[in-house]
Amino acid sequence: MSRTGEKIKNFIKKTVFVDFIKGLHVTLGYNLSKSITIRYPDEEKWIPYRRFRGRHTLNRTPEGRELCVACELCAKSCPTNCITVIPMEDDTGRGIADRVAKVWKVDLVRCLFCGYCEDACPTRALRLGRDYELACTDLACTGMEMQELLMPQSIPETISGGVVAKARFIRDGEKLTVEADLGKTRKMRW
Amino acid sequence: MLDVSLLLTVIIMVVKVGVVAMILFGLPIPLTWLERKVAGHIQARLGPYRVGPHGVLQPIADMIKLLFKEDIVPDKADKFLFKIAPLLAMVPAFMVFVAIPIGDKWTVPYINKDVTLYISNMNVGVLYVLAIAGLGIYGVIFGGWASNSKYALLGGLRSAAQMISYEVALSFSVIGVVMMSNSLNLVEIVTSQGGGFWNWNFFYLPVGPVWFFIFMIAASAEINRIPFDLTEDEGTLSSGFHTEYSGMRFSLFMLSEYVAMVTVSVLAVVFFLGGWNPPVDLPFIPDIVLPFYGIGWFLAKVVVFIYLFMWIRFTLPRYRYDQLMTIGWKILIPICLGTILVTGFMRIYLF
Repeated sequence: MSRTGEKIKNFIKKTVFVDFIKGLHVTLGYNLSKSITIRYPDEEKWIPYRRFRGRHTLNRTPEGRELCVACELCAKSCPTNCITVIPMEDDTGRGIADRVAKVWKVDLVRCLFCGYCEDACPTRALRLGRDYELACTDLACTGMEMQELLMPQSIPETISGGVVAKARFIRDGEKLTVEADLGKTRKMRW
Repeated sequence: MLDVSLLLTVIIMVVKVGVVAMILFGLPIPLTWLERKVAGHIQARLGPYRVGPHGVLQPIADMIKLLFKEDIVPDKADKFLFKIAPLLAMVPAFMVFVAIPIGDKWTVPYINKDVTLYISNMNVGVLYVLAIAGLGIYGVIFGGWASNSKYALLGGLRSAAQMISYEVALSFSVIGVVMMSNSLNLVEIVTSQGGGFWNWNFFYLPVGPVWFFIFMIAASAEINRIPFDLTEDEGTLSSGFHTEYSGMRFSLFMLSEYVAMVTVSVLAVVFFLGGWNPPVDLPFIPDIVLPFYGIGWFLAKVVVFIYLFMWIRFTLPRYRYDQLMTIGWKILIPICLGTILVTGFMRIYLF
């Protein structure tokens, strides 16, 4: 009895297109739901979390003195030998100690962004920041010199990240940049 | 002396033909955009977004690309058939619109002449539409044969078998409609459904919905859309009969496919949902909307059907070939014959 009942039920289900309507309901729900697309680079840009490991930055103290003491631990810990540090003596108050870096160079082509250098740094001078747009048109721009690395981070440490910010796509000849407006952000729905 | 009224009739006829042809040539532009948008949003994406606001100019960019692409004719192809096949697919799709009524009458301002909103009011409209729509298969099968490629040939053969099988169910499902209006004339079919939505053929219970669903299933098979798009089954046939086509010839196939989709939507509206008749007769309609009132309802219904076809496309998977044949011959045709019998008895003994 129950098996024939089951059969009849299935037959009725088939004739009134129950499964078909269920399927259409699912797709209609997705059709009306909001898209999860981030409209990068035209309108929006992803702001990573703090844990993100992007391009290297060298920090300063709040007074503006370099935190790096050129101890070369980052260069020693680097698995790909992409960091070059040449120390020198300087007592003009440029650094926090007498020893500062004369050259601090990273080859971003060889870097694998493992973060060992960041961990090895005794003064927390080195930080893998949140810049991830590292593509460029020639090899010359992959080596980052100290002066560039000492610039303040584009996304300050106070912002926790994990949001999508409004952005502006700027084409300036060969150089393409996406400028994020950190004031206007929205949460991502995963 | 030239007869002025005859001249005017000829001019109006030429203008109507021109307008319909232009609209049909222009249709794929909004439809490809809509299809990609619907696809995107159903998959929680955005679809085309960068060319123009919300990507509205994307189809034009695609068209320019297709125009400038190299037009490849395979070395061992049957050159003549290969070149003529896209046209054979396209022309019948356009010819169907000769018989299709999109509205009743429209008075042209300034010359005060009534213009009928159909090109030809033929007495065998239903027969003509079904017959001409069936001709489109020549383009598909010639394209598949002439390409000299196994994928194209198999795709063409499959679509020939599929379209012939479903042509039967499609025609049978319309017989009930013809019984309702006692006419094969499409204009009379529409006018017989006037006066409220309960007079539409869809609501002729209990057989109306059955005709309608059979018509829709057979029609989606006829225009090769999912779940019956075995002719262009990417998994097994790369892309079916138009595998070897490129550039403008390929876009002619796409054009005919979209026009066929519009044709089927229009036919579903004319046969089952009362054409240009509004669902409820309003007591008062403002004078400004009056000329566009019927056409507005008609277009709204057609758009709903076009969306329905796209919606189904991104919902269902594809049927296997033997399942397709089983559905066509073992299920749809017996149900069709049964409903024809029931309709006949209902028309004789009930009302």
